[in-house]
Amino acid sequence: MHEFLAQLVNGISLGGIYALIAIGYTMVYGIAELINFAHGDVYTLGTFVALAIFGALGISGELHGIALVVDSGLALIGAAVCCGLIGMAMERLAYRRLRNAPRLAPLITAIGVSFILQNLMQLWKGSAPIPFPAVLPNPRFDLGPVSITAQQIAVVALAVAAMFALQIVVTRTRTGAAMRAVAQDRQAASLMGVDVDRTIAITFLIAGLLAGVGGFVSGVYYQSTWFLNGFSAGLKAFTAAVLGGIGNIAGAMLGGFLIGIIESFATWLIGGQWSNVTVFAILILVLVLKPSGLLGERVPEKV
Amino acid sequence: MVYAIAAIVIAFAVAIDRVRTKRTKLLLLAGLAVLLAVAPRLGGSDASVNALVDIGIYVVLALGLNVVVGFAGLLDLGYAAFFAIGAYTYAMLASPQFGLHLPFWVLLFLAAALASLCGIVLGAPTLRLRGDYLAIVTLGFGEIVPQVFQNLTKYTGGPNGIGALDVPTFFGIPFGQSALPYYYVTLAAIALTLLLTNNLRASRLGRAWMAIREDQLAAAHAGIDTTRSKLAAFALGASFSGFAGVIFAAKLSLVSPDLFQFQVSVLVVSMLVLGGMGNIPGVVVGAVLLGLLNGTVLPQLDTIATDVLHVHADLTQASFLIYGVILVGLMLFRPEGLLPDRERRAEMHAAPNEVV
Amino acid sequence: MGAPILEIRGVSKRFGKLAAVDDLSLSVQTGAIFGIIGPNGAGKSTLFNLVSGVSRPDSGEILFDGVDVAGWHSDAIARAGIGRTFQNLRLFGYLSARENVMIGGHARLKATLFDSLLNTPRARREERAALSRADELLARFDLAADADRFARNLPYGGQRRLEIARALAGQPQLLLLDEPAAGANAAEKRALVDLVRAINAAGTTVVLIEHDMGVVMELCHRIAVLDYGVKIAEGDGAEVRANPRVIEAYLGTPDA
Repeated sequence: MHEFLAQLVNGISLGGIYALIAIGYTMVYGIAELINFAHGDVYTLGTFVALAIFGALGISGELHGIALVVDSGLALIGAAVCCGLIGMAMERLAYRRLRNAPRLAPLITAIGVSFILQNLMQLWKGSAPIPFPAVLPNPRFDLGPVSITAQQIAVVALAVAAMFALQIVVTRTRTGAAMRAVAQDRQAASLMGVDVDRTIAITFLIAGLLAGVGGFVSGVYYQSTWFLNGFSAGLKAFTAAVLGGIGNIAGAMLGGFLIGIIESFATWLIGGQWSNVTVFAILILVLVLKPSGLLGERVPEKV
Repeated sequence: MVYAIAAIVIAFAVAIDRVRTKRTKLLLLAGLAVLLAVAPRLGGSDASVNALVDIGIYVVLALGLNVVVGFAGLLDLGYAAFFAIGAYTYAMLASPQFGLHLPFWVLLFLAAALASLCGIVLGAPTLRLRGDYLAIVTLGFGEIVPQVFQNLTKYTGGPNGIGALDVPTFFGIPFGQSALPYYYVTLAAIALTLLLTNNLRASRLGRAWMAIREDQLAAAHAGIDTTRSKLAAFALGASFSGFAGVIFAAKLSLVSPDLFQFQVSVLVVSMLVLGGMGNIPGVVVGAVLLGLLNGTVLPQLDTIATDVLHVHADLTQASFLIYGVILVGLMLFRPEGLLPDRERRAEMHAAPNEVV
Repeated sequence: MGAPILEIRGVSKRFGKLAAVDDLSLSVQTGAIFGIIGPNGAGKSTLFNLVSGVSRPDSGEILFDGVDVAGWHSDAIARAGIGRTFQNLRLFGYLSARENVMIGGHARLKATLFDSLLNTPRARREERAALSRADELLARFDLAADADRFARNLPYGGQRRLEIARALAGQPQLLLLDEPAAGANAAEKRALVDLVRAINAAGTTVVLIEHDMGVVMELCHRIAVLDYGVKIAEGDGAEVRANPRVIEAYLGTPDA
């Protein structure tokens, strides 16, 4: 029981990170009908940028008090902004032109962009996993049968906060309304005066921001990063988005946490080397059995 | 020598693509075959021949994937999985691993059949998904297969794989250490693949694939069972991959999971994109160019950089950066590839069932 | 004329709250040319979609030659002997006119996967036959000169004819034509009428959705009128023309 809860908590924290990445996938797919293959690498880039900022600030150990807030805030914001901008750049340079091309083209372009990002990160920091400074103090809280660390709380809190912020943007702001309109019917939105290009660009920006936050969180939590992280994390986050219902933000959140929990339990029960297989098998199963996912309406079947 | 042969192949391929009549194409092809058959005699180290075999294996892979992606329009990002299945079939049935020693020639076709079966199992539930979802599913499959091989250590040798694979024999004569026998096997494999895929292209099934690619609804109304046709493409494509896997494993005398990762699948897709998918000569050109880049150019650039410029470069490290740039560049500026299919068809005044 | 080749019984189809087709019944005699008319949005194309397997009816039966094909996949329905054209033209644009017609005849060929793969004598024989049949059809439809052109490059009238030729390549017993005269000038309409008559005379039952009353009245033995998914009249040309509900549907009531 103790172990079960520990794994559950572990899974939820992991899921928080997946949720942050998954939201980006689902938003971009919803608005541009594009699976942004490179999104996972944007997430990894977030970790790298945060690492670079900590490096520039000369930080290698735990932070406290003001330093904690300021320095990690800097790294967090730096990572988020950087990733947001990279996301926007990707859209502007590589994807925008292919908006009306057959589906194959943007997907292959996305793969190309993914390779470029991965390789750049590899050239930047090398092929081996890189340690990330343990900046957050991490007291444990014992709540009966289970103990939770501050970092785990932080991960989940951040993910949930991000989702709430996003919900507000999407439902209460004009930009959000524009995003929803373009996702539903691009032509009609454009005829209504919505600047489609700008709206899509903002979507990529937000997706990148969230991925950057996820990257920062991941670095702090796992205290290590690797240029290939994005590939598998990206696939799993995409699975989460599909599981929750592609195009549905709440679904991405839900899917993220579910996948995190499933992966955690799979690692515990059948071993770490099978966790990837489990998650990908779930991807295939969901698409075959219930392609609209748990909460979604868009159906990935050919009509 | 590798560059020379590659250039010759590309030149012939472009010529075959441009020329109109079936007879001329066949003549050119025959000429090329003769040239390739005698090429190793004209000098060139075993290492060069080995490099050519590697390129040749990629040609088979690209032609096979062309059936799935180029003809039927199904985006498969996990093609390496079938390659792995073929390779591991050889590794498990012709090595000390289980003490089984089936002949190479039998395993070529057995592996093809097995890979094809896996293609059907994967494809049956998933081929009705829309293009980009199918792509992700196949990608997932491409991740699952090597991972499974890596995990089932007892049967597959785990992360280290299986080594000391049987050396194939030809009427009792063992292939030995040289790459030369593999060269001829690969040439034969390419010939076979060319023949079969070209037959498919010009057949009733090939037309059905073209129709499905253009307008699946209208294709169905013409009486085409789209699911079955797509499944056929998928299974056939897989079989070529499995076949190539056996040649690859036998030559290397070793298989391990890290040889069959996603990068391999993407490389093959890139070959199609670069060369012009759907167009057989184009695919060959794409495969030769990228195969050359991958196996020969990049390692040599490293050597040049190190020896001549005294700069430590590990360009093979940057290889995926280069591929990424190539892919993005192609998609933005010439998505139809170098030797595109449709343009050519617009110029042609031949009936649909002519040889490429 | 004998037994009805097509019987639609109590068929309904809703999209959300909207009943596109509502408890519709009609029957088409073998060998007839049957017209379906009605204002826009009346459910005519939806009906065709139900018959050709694009969507499945919520209720009712669609009997083709006595067999209920409701809910069947389009390819099975095509193989059973129903061919159709589309309101918005669905040609294989980047294939030649000849290839389009050859694909239309797909189900009539028997070559298996192995035949295709190995280019067996049977495959070669069938291909030659398919090719000559396609050329015949193209000639009949005045498209011989355009045989090698991309379908999308054909003039509009040629495209419409090509779609019909493609549908006929499947040798259907029942041909559904969805607004074949749309966008046609007087001469083209004339030619179309002759064409449809010839097709019918050769033994194919035709069901026609059309807006052009002249074409409808000239061709159709029997006409059904749809409005808001419901059949409001059925009969021959004269009966339908005189029917007050039909007039109202097209022209509206005086105080509307």
